[in-house]
Formats: sequence, structure tokens, C-alpha cells
Amino acid sequence: MVKDNAWLTRQVAEKRIMPARFGGKTWLLDAAGTAYLPEADWLVVSDLHLEKGSYLRCYGNPVPQLDSQATLHRLSRIINDYQPEVVICLGDSFHDTDSVSRMQDADKALLASLIRQVPRWCWVLGNHDPAIPESVGGERHARLLQDTVGLCHEPEAHWPAAEYQLIGHFHPKARIRQGRHVYRGKSFLIGQKLMIMPAFGQYTGGLWIDDEVVTSLIPVNSRQAFMLYDHCIVRQT
Amino acid sequence: MLEQVAQQPATLLIAPTGAGKTLSGFLPSLVDLYQQPVTGLHTLYISPLKALTQDIHRNLLQPVEEIGLDITIETRTGDTPSHKRQRQRRKPPNILLTTPESLMLLLSYADADKIFARLRTVIIDEAHSLVANKRGDFTTLALTRLQALSPQMRRIGLSATVAQPAALAGWLGVTGTPASIIQVQAPVKPDITMLHSASRMPFGGFMAKYAIGDIYSHIQQAGTTLVFVNTRAQSELVFQMLWEENRAGLPIALYHGSLSKEQRRKTEAMMASGQLRAIVCTSALELGIDWGNVDLVIQVGAPKGVSRLLQRIGRANHRLDEPSRALLVPANRFEALECQAAMDAIARNELDGEQPQPGAMDILPQFILNCACAAPADPELIYQQVLDAAPYQGTDRDEFDKLWQFTVDGGYALQAYERYQRLIQNQHNLWVPASKRIIQRHRQNIGTIVEAGRLKVKRIRRGNQGKIIGEVEEYFAQQLVAGDTFLFAGEVLRFEAIRDMQLHARSAKGGEPKIPSYAGGQLPLSTFLADGVRQLLNDQSRWASLPQQVREWLQLQQQFSVIPHPEQVLIEQFEHRKAMVTLYYTFEGRKANQTLGMLLTKRMEKLGLKPLSFSVTDYGLSVSALRRITPAHIESLFSPDILGDELENWMLQAPMLKRSFRHVAVVSGLTEQRFHSSQKTMKQVTFSTDLIYDTLREYDPDHILLSVTRADAERELLDLKRLAGLLIRFVGKTRLVDLDKVSPMAIPIVLDVRSEQVKGAGAHAMMEQAELYAEAEAMLDEVKALLGG
Repeated sequence: MVKDNAWLTRQVAEKRIMPARFGGKTWLLDAAGTAYLPEADWLVVSDLHLEKGSYLRCYGNPVPQLDSQATLHRLSRIINDYQPEVVICLGDSFHDTDSVSRMQDADKALLASLIRQVPRWCWVLGNHDPAIPESVGGERHARLLQDTVGLCHEPEAHWPAAEYQLIGHFHPKARIRQGRHVYRGKSFLIGQKLMIMPAFGQYTGGLWIDDEVVTSLIPVNSRQAFMLYDHCIVRQT
Repeated sequence: MLEQVAQQPATLLIAPTGAGKTLSGFLPSLVDLYQQPVTGLHTLYISPLKALTQDIHRNLLQPVEEIGLDITIETRTGDTPSHKRQRQRRKPPNILLTTPESLMLLLSYADADKIFARLRTVIIDEAHSLVANKRGDFTTLALTRLQALSPQMRRIGLSATVAQPAALAGWLGVTGTPASIIQVQAPVKPDITMLHSASRMPFGGFMAKYAIGDIYSHIQQAGTTLVFVNTRAQSELVFQMLWEENRAGLPIALYHGSLSKEQRRKTEAMMASGQLRAIVCTSALELGIDWGNVDLVIQVGAPKGVSRLLQRIGRANHRLDEPSRALLVPANRFEALECQAAMDAIARNELDGEQPQPGAMDILPQFILNCACAAPADPELIYQQVLDAAPYQGTDRDEFDKLWQFTVDGGYALQAYERYQRLIQNQHNLWVPASKRIIQRHRQNIGTIVEAGRLKVKRIRRGNQGKIIGEVEEYFAQQLVAGDTFLFAGEVLRFEAIRDMQLHARSAKGGEPKIPSYAGGQLPLSTFLADGVRQLLNDQSRWASLPQQVREWLQLQQQFSVIPHPEQVLIEQFEHRKAMVTLYYTFEGRKANQTLGMLLTKRMEKLGLKPLSFSVTDYGLSVSALRRITPAHIESLFSPDILGDELENWMLQAPMLKRSFRHVAVVSGLTEQRFHSSQKTMKQVTFSTDLIYDTLREYDPDHILLSVTRADAERELLDLKRLAGLLIRFVGKTRLVDLDKVSPMAIPIVLDVRSEQVKGAGAHAMMEQAELYAEAEAMLDEVKALLGG
């Protein structure tokens, strides 16, 4: 739990953290791409895509296999900042079902220590990682519910209990136009019933929030986008 | 000439356009084949343009058939159908006309040694266009490989007139044995004039709308005219405007590289048979052989380089004893200066030219893999072949080994265990591709041209039925909303949707159509010409030859601000679109301005001036920032201690380096441009290479691709030592002029929109949202209450 109020004030002043309302709750959106729910002491992160680098290598792209290491280091810093009761990885945490077997030992050890460090670690399963080997630790869930807010990887059409849904999957990215300058970055996207997390993984690409696929879920006129840019989080107006 | 070619391993034939050099290049081969007919490949012709191979094919077949020679001649490019390509490998023609990429692909086959075993001659056409660029480097590597397969092969290079023939001869020959030179002088100088229009000439802009009437009347008076423009967007617009003016209904066509193959073939055929009065075209028609009776070349927009201008002018009148006629049409008043400087240089017989550069290292992994695809590869042997290519003669063994390792497994410092390799060792300790997939992937990605993502444009007639008429960049397509109209292939189209990587559109009328822009379309100005403009500015006696409107514009600049002085850097400052713009007239060329822009914005960031972006032109540097600059700032901005220690590190973060890395990643095979013929969208490639770059910098800073990227970027940057010298020259010699608004001379520079963004306080200030922050603080109190309880 974040104990240090002064730290929090400073982070907000420096635009590292932006509070936002969704599903009747206040969330702290972090410029690193995570969402923190103070009332439950939950830290939510989505689309880590661990071992995407080694996956691409299978297809002959000699890309560096350093992505898991980089992703886990960033995650570790965030966990240290918030010290949450629960870490929730909102699906597509591993790029494919063989990811864990390809992980380097040092990365495996780092992940294990992160999981040990937190009282509860929940893997919400996604389309890229429908199953995660038991050796990894943590709990596995298809979805989670906090009051009326449901957490799942992709939007669920039939889930009456979840009036609101927090999802990942789409890797939203946004742009902010100021005069002749255009700034671009990964983005949180909040609609009336749906909130989409940005992708956290080192090698994740993105989908413009103006893309048909995204606007059909969260229409332009009813959305708030919080864009990540140069270690800060700014709202698209 | 025949004797010389027969005796020399390499010959460079330099002749002005229109001297018939391409056909003379084939003469030794034709004589050879006539005297001793052979089966199999005798002569290979390499052209930088696909269209040129078609052209040469046509022009070569005719005399060969007329004389009744029994010689087979075929083309082989990306457009050649696969059954024909297979047949060509089994039974190669005597003369094969191809491009560097198709040649490299041929060299990757296991039977390459059989195909090329009896090759006698290789002809490299338009060799001047291959010096000091990656495609040229790539070609020299293909040549050394050919030479290894058939040691008796002789090289013949054909080139337009160049500034430094010796450098080109060195490039053409095997390292250490430059080609011998045969030079043909142009007997007559071209007859060039600049348009002095009665219509009002704009200060800025690049479309030359004011001059369309004049251009049209010149077309009317001439037999056949080539209208050259600098970008594809310009060609679309000029074409459209000419047709609006076309009261006489003259047959005027459009030609640029994004039009479909069929469309281009049709225009070429019509031109060859003399059915056209004019073609509006880009550099796609710059190279090549006879286009029939062109008797006037019109250059719309600044010529950008003396050699380029001469090449274009040479398209007119292919008779050596008569001068080519050309008309220069500057699009704005600044460009008039450039036109004049180019005309003066031509009158003095001065040419600009690219200095040869060390070969680009990102091509080596591609080359290594290519060799391994053809036959088991030995690093030592391939290293020796690389050294034989002139641009690569200085390649360090250590660096080569690192690139070899990169080709094998990525060459990363941290590698626990490696299951996936591109190359593995066979029982003889030679290296072979690890799988068929690797070979296939490599063959699909051969080349050095990294293209922006493209979408095919389909003109819909009914339902989903229609015809592909060309391509636009993905970036442009994404800006379109259904119902938008745009200009393409010379007509107005209404955008419907993007389906299956195709842009669907219908013919439309009216509206205000947008014009597709192409990132690759910009031509850099030669430094030589930038210098010419500076001299022209400072020699008022020469202003007399300029159009009157241009003289008035310069006088206006004199009254409103100052004319840049050779001993001083003029700095103008004014407010423009809610930002402070400073313009530094350095006349140091694009390279120096690029580096200076990076340095100045870094220093401005430190001084709290909140820079937003900068853009460079060949004449100067334009920086936009949120705060006003004072003379005191200038002093510290231009102090040479700006080149501090952290600079190196800072440079590595610059967007330019990421851009270079993007190219290096594709060319070196780190990421792919094509896979299984389904083109990956450029968006995905772009995003992931930036991330890979950041990751490498943090976790594997000594990786070979980072140093390759750095070297690659330096082709576009000025090295720091030279920049330091430049800054010392500037100290105390700056003149800051504060203006109420943009000066006459600054207009074309400010209108040039390709700018590089600066990350930092300025960007954050632009996105500052005070009222949102108050809201955030209020919400934070709730959170604190929650956390406290």
C-alpha cells in the first residue's frame, strides 16, 4: 500500500500519476502504464508479452532476447513504488504457451522473486496465454470482480455482474495535436462502461484509439484518453 | 574503345546524355557474340531502374534482329513471371538485363556458379547514380561475388558527366585497380533560361501554380516537352493544373513511380511512338535512353543539384551537335536563387557530385547470408571478397567478425542458450542456413530500399470490381475519412474504405482534393549549390540577371530585415503560430544544420527556453520554442563548450538515430519488410524497431548494430570535430534580428514542414492542462483518505 502521501503528491505534480474515475471508483493511472486501485490495494498491469523476442527469433528474426528482462525490471520498479496487496496481470502476460520454457534463468528468478514479494499475484488469462505452467506460481483466473467492476482480458459480452469492465488486449495508443506538433504514445482509454489498459511489454506495438475496432467499443465522444509520453501521463482533450 | 575494353578488366565510359553510351556499352559483347556464338550467359546488364531494362531490351532487340544476329536477350526484374525466371536459370540467355536486387537474388541460388561460370562482361548503367548510397554499395558486393564466380569477367561502367571521374573509376574497379576512363565531352552547352513570369510569384510554397499559364504556352510552342518536378505530390498537382489550362486539348500525360506498371508502360509506349505532347514526371524518367524527340525540358521547382539538372536537361534533344533546350520554373522566390546559381555553375562548367563513402555495414549481414544460401560459406573467403569491393576496402576484420556473428545468431552479449540460429556449421566447418525458412525469408527481403508502407489504390467501378491504378503511402491513407477526395494518377477520387490492404475509391468531381505525400519524395540539395546561393546573395551585381520579382523580394528583405552576410550568421526571430521561431542562416548545408539543430535544442532545453522542434533546410535551421531568445542566450548557445561529454549519449537518443536504426534493422535482416509475400504493415515495423533500439541501448550497449546505426546516421550528420570548428568561427559573429513577423526570406523555410520534435519541457508545456491538474488534486485528496483509512 502507498503509505507516503508526500510521494503521491509529488508524483501527481510531476505528472507521473494521474487520478481518474471509472466504475464509481478512483484509480491512479501511472505513466509507466499501470493502474492502481487504492480501495482494494490492487495494482493492474496488462499485456506483458514476455518472451516475444524469443518468439520472433523462432521465425528467423534475430531480435535481441532482452525484452523479458526489460519488462520485468520496469515491473519491479512499479511494484516497489506501490507495494500493493495484489498484483493483477490482465492477460497476454506471456507471448505464447511455450514462453516459460524459453525464459532465461535470470529472468525466471526475477519473476519468481516478484511473485514472492507480493501477498497475492493473479494471472488473468488471455488469448496469448490460455494456460500458464504451475511452476510459475501465482493464481490463475479467467476473470476477477471488485463490486461492479469486472477484470478480464477481452471484453465479455455476457457478464451481468460486471456493470463495468477493465480490459487489456487492444494495446491502445493515442496522439495529441498541439498546433503543428503531434505527440504520440501508449494510452489508457476510459469509456462509460469500459476501460482499456495500455500494453506494458517492452516489445508491444499499438492500435490507434481512432481505429474502428476501438471506437466500436468506446466511441470518440464518450471517451477519455490518458496518453503516456516521455515518462509523464497527459490527458487528451 | 573496343580495343581498350578488351584489354582492361574494367572500363568507365563517361559521356553526356544522348551520346548513345548505353548501346556502345553493348558493342564489345555484340562483336564477341557475333564472332564466337556461345550458349549460356555472356553479358549481364545492371540498371538502377526496372523501367530502363525494358527500354534497353526494346532498343537492343531492334538492331540485333535487323542484322540477323543469333543472340538471345531477356530481362529479369521483380516483374518477371516466375515460370520465366525458372527457365532463365535452366537456360540463361546470352544477354540478361537486370537490376541489382534481382542479381543478388540470382546469386543466392545454389546453381549461381553454373549460371555465371562463363560470364564475360558486366555492364553497369548510370553508374554515377550508384556512388555514395546503399544501393551502390550493395551493387559492388554483388560484383565481387560475380567476379569470384567468373574471374575472367570484365566490367564496363556507363556514366553521365561527373565532377570526379577518378573517384567513380575507383568505385567501379576491383579494390586497388580502378577502371580506365574513356571520356566523351559534350560539344555544345545546353540552352537554359529561367522563367520571368508576368504573374505574381509567391514567397513560399512549392507548387508553382502561378506559372501554369506560362508552362502551358511553352508546351504549346514546343513539339514534345518533359515537365520535371521534384516530388510525386507536385507531379499530381501540376498535371491537374495543366489540364485545367488545357484549352487546346493537348495530349499531356503523367508519370511517377507510384503509378501501376500497366499505366506506366502505356505512357512509355505512347511517348515512344510520338503520341504525346508533354509528360509531367518525377525523377522516375530522369535516367534512361532515347525518349523520341523531346525538344524542351521544363524543370518546375528548384533543381537541387547541378548534375541532376544536367541529367534532366539531357533528356531533351538526343542529338549531340545541337544544344538541349531547358526552362527553369522556380516555385517561389527563394528557389529562383537556386535556379540562378545552378545556371551560373553550368555556364562555368562546374559540377557537384557525391564523394565516395565507406560502404554501409548493415548490408554485410545480408551479403553474408546471401553467400551462405548459394553455397557453404567460409568467413575468411567472404571477408576477402568484401575487401575487393571498393567501398568496403577498409573494412576492419574485427567489425566483420561481429557482423558475421550477428548473422549467425544475433550476436548478443547475453545469451543463455541458443536454439535458433540463422546459420549453422556443417561437417566441414562451413556455414549454411539453418533452415529453408531462413533462405526463403532472406530472398523475400533482399535489397536496401526500405519503403514506407504502401497501399494499392483500386478505382472502383461497381460493387467491389475495379482496377489497381497505383499505390499511396499508408500514412496518407490513414488520414482519409470516407467521402474525402484526393488527387491520384491525375484524377480526383473519392475515398471509400481500406479493404484487404487496398484503398478503394471512386471517380469523383470537384471538392478540394488532398494530395498524397510521399516521404521518400524529397530531394536533398547539394552543398555545392547551397554555397552558390550564398555567393549570389552577397554579390548584388549579379542580381540583375534574376527575375524582377525576385530582385524586389531581396530588396524587401533588405528593408524588413537583413541580407545574410558571408562573415556573419544572421538569426531572425519572430512569432509564428503561437511559438517563437528562430531562423539561423548558416548556409552550411543540411548535414551541418542537422547536427547544429540537435545541439542548439539541447542547449536551449538546458536554458529553459522550451524548444519544441526544429527543421533544417540546406540554407539554414529553423527552431521553434515557447520562449523568446535574447542576445545573452545567443552567446551561450553558440559557445563551443556546447560539445560537452554528455553529448555522445544525448545524440544516441535523438530521433534521427532511431530512424537510422529502423533502416539498419530491415537491411541487416533484424526485422523484415516482407514475409510470405504478405507485407507487414510499416506501423508494426516502425514501432517495434524503436523499442528494440531502446532495449539494446539499455541492456547491450556494445552491440554491433548500434555502432552500425551510429555510422549510418553520420552519413547525414556532420562529425563533431568539424562542427566545433564551425562554432568557433561563429563566436561573436552572430546577428540577432527581432521581427514582428516572418521575414520575406524566411517564408519558404518556415513553410517547409518536415520538422524533428524535441522531447522535453517544451513538449510538456504544450500539453499543459492547468484545469485538469486542479481536478487531479481534488481526486487525490479522496485517494489519500482511502489510503490513510
